[in-house]
Amino acid sequence: MMHQKMTAITALEHSVEIKAVSKTFGAFHAVNNVSLPIRAGEFVTLLGPSGCGKTTLLNMVAGFIDPSAGAIHIGGVDVTNVPVHLRDTGMVFQSYALFPHMNVFDNVAFGLRQRKFSKSEVTRKVMQTIEMMKLSGMEGRRISQLSGGQQQRVALARAIAIQPKVLLLDEPLSALDKSLRAQMQVELIEMHRNTGLTTIFVTHDQGEALSLSDRIVVMNRGQIQQVAEPIDLYSNPANGFVASFIGEINALPAAIYQASDREISLAIGDIRMTAPRRPEWKFGSGEMVKAFVRPEHVRMATSADAGSNVVTGEVLTHIYQGSHTITRLRIDGLGPIEMRLPGGDVVGRVPVGMPAQIAFDLSQVILLADNPN
Amino acid sequence: MTRQRPFFVQFLVPAVLVAVIFAAAMFNVLKYSFLEFVPGSLNVGGFTLENFTRINRPIYYWVLLDTFILSFATAFFALLLSYPISFALVRAERNWVRSVLVVLAITPLFTGEIVRTYSWMLVLGSDGVVNTALKSLGVIDRSVPIMYTRVGVVIALVQFAMPVMIILLATAISQINRDCEKAAANLGATPNTVFWWVTIPLTLPGILSGFVVVFAWTMSAFSTPQLIGGGKVLMISNVVYLQGFSSFNLPFAAVLSLVALFAALGSLALMKLLTARLEQNMATS
Repeated sequence: MMHQKMTAITALEHSVEIKAVSKTFGAFHAVNNVSLPIRAGEFVTLLGPSGCGKTTLLNMVAGFIDPSAGAIHIGGVDVTNVPVHLRDTGMVFQSYALFPHMNVFDNVAFGLRQRKFSKSEVTRKVMQTIEMMKLSGMEGRRISQLSGGQQQRVALARAIAIQPKVLLLDEPLSALDKSLRAQMQVELIEMHRNTGLTTIFVTHDQGEALSLSDRIVVMNRGQIQQVAEPIDLYSNPANGFVASFIGEINALPAAIYQASDREISLAIGDIRMTAPRRPEWKFGSGEMVKAFVRPEHVRMATSADAGSNVVTGEVLTHIYQGSHTITRLRIDGLGPIEMRLPGGDVVGRVPVGMPAQIAFDLSQVILLADNPN
Repeated sequence: MTRQRPFFVQFLVPAVLVAVIFAAAMFNVLKYSFLEFVPGSLNVGGFTLENFTRINRPIYYWVLLDTFILSFATAFFALLLSYPISFALVRAERNWVRSVLVVLAITPLFTGEIVRTYSWMLVLGSDGVVNTALKSLGVIDRSVPIMYTRVGVVIALVQFAMPVMIILLATAISQINRDCEKAAANLGATPNTVFWWVTIPLTLPGILSGFVVVFAWTMSAFSTPQLIGGGKVLMISNVVYLQGFSSFNLPFAAVLSLVALFAALGSLALMKLLTARLEQNMATS
């Protein structure tokens, strides 16, 4: 029931629109000309290393930081100059920022009371939210009596109880231990499905981003590097930064020795490959590029492999992880390469120090221009 | 234990010395309170309970009550005046503003009580700064008495207590999680609501301890009520002084001292009780 009510709140095309927003602190560009439309009901993740501007951007949407340039629209209204308390956003802080002098009920009720709901309305909405966040029976508890996971749920409940126009999550899982974090990820997904709230999630954890998001916005040095759905982002990174930041990847130097309108041929060390040309590939013959190969796309060569796709390396280490093994090899002219194979057979087959013949899954090789970004 | 903390015993020596001497002094005060006063002599007579019966007179009740009221008023106004200063001290964005506030707030601590009190006499007197200013502004045509009044005493006591209050409050304010204030604003609270419903409650421990410390401290104030009150405003210490060093009735002075001590301890215990309940209520309401 709650689900329908909440999803019906907005039918606008774009719930949040960030328009050419910049923020400078002195000479430092924390956020540099960022534009990002977010659809109603979408779960968007701002992903990047610390200092990339993702938190600054979130704080500008909430109204805690004023942009130096650009505009922010929420629900179709320009809120750039609207103070925090009139923006109708719901934020979950990294520190949770629960009110320690209030119990669970009063924490969740805080936003509703500011909105002058009647006492019975407040009680109804609070109990509804508390039930949805699986906190029933804890209304009277003090914050200090709650576990980390429960505090996290109260913080979420407090933010969604007001049915905000946009839910802002500032690294909410980073304070939890690993198993709790996995569990909270599931609960976040459920919460998002139940409420249909437009959500902006900030994290530096690419795993969280991949598993939670409808779309991921990768940021670095104050600029958007790529906006894409998780699968697209993983398999088609727009540049070297995105390729290296999302998942593990081998970045290898490659030389193009033949290029036509339809195909290009290149050499990655001793490996030679020919791939159908993609429209975004602008390189010509003789150019150096970067070939990106994910560890799961490297394997032991078999007799079926063509000689041009086989290269010999020396095994440096095996890291056995139960379901799979990460093997590091050194290949002359290419440097170290990581290979990920299922199970642990490889540990016995090619012991450390022994030579191993490996091959690439050539259809999965990603080619990008050879520049820092 | 001595092996783990090799200097443990040696380090305790100064503290033990101070404690022993203090206990001996307190014991003497206690002893004197049970000894007979011999008029015209510093010597004392034998055991008596007469000193304790003598205290059962309205004048001493009034002095005690007055001390309570003046201490309470001092703590209250010191709190009221110090909170904004502490707040600005912690929250000011410009470094120089903070530095100026720290210097202004803390330097009075390095001025002797007598010097400060004497300055207040110059300010509060009938030809003092306040009266002269008010007269030249035409607010009043005759000097208003501030010296030798409770108001004057409280003004000086408040200023005397403020540095300590400011330090205690500033510590409390600097320790609160500012995300709580941001969260409240984010949930729709106006800056005013954030202050009264989040900032103040979160700094309540500092507010309470500041209040209690200043209250207890002012209970034993001596030179400020002595000089500004000029004998017209008596706090318990001034009566102890009168009995002990004007009438040389040391036994009765000892009794008054004990009464003052237990009154202070009693009121601190009472406040502790009240604040414990208050804190609990705030946490469960």
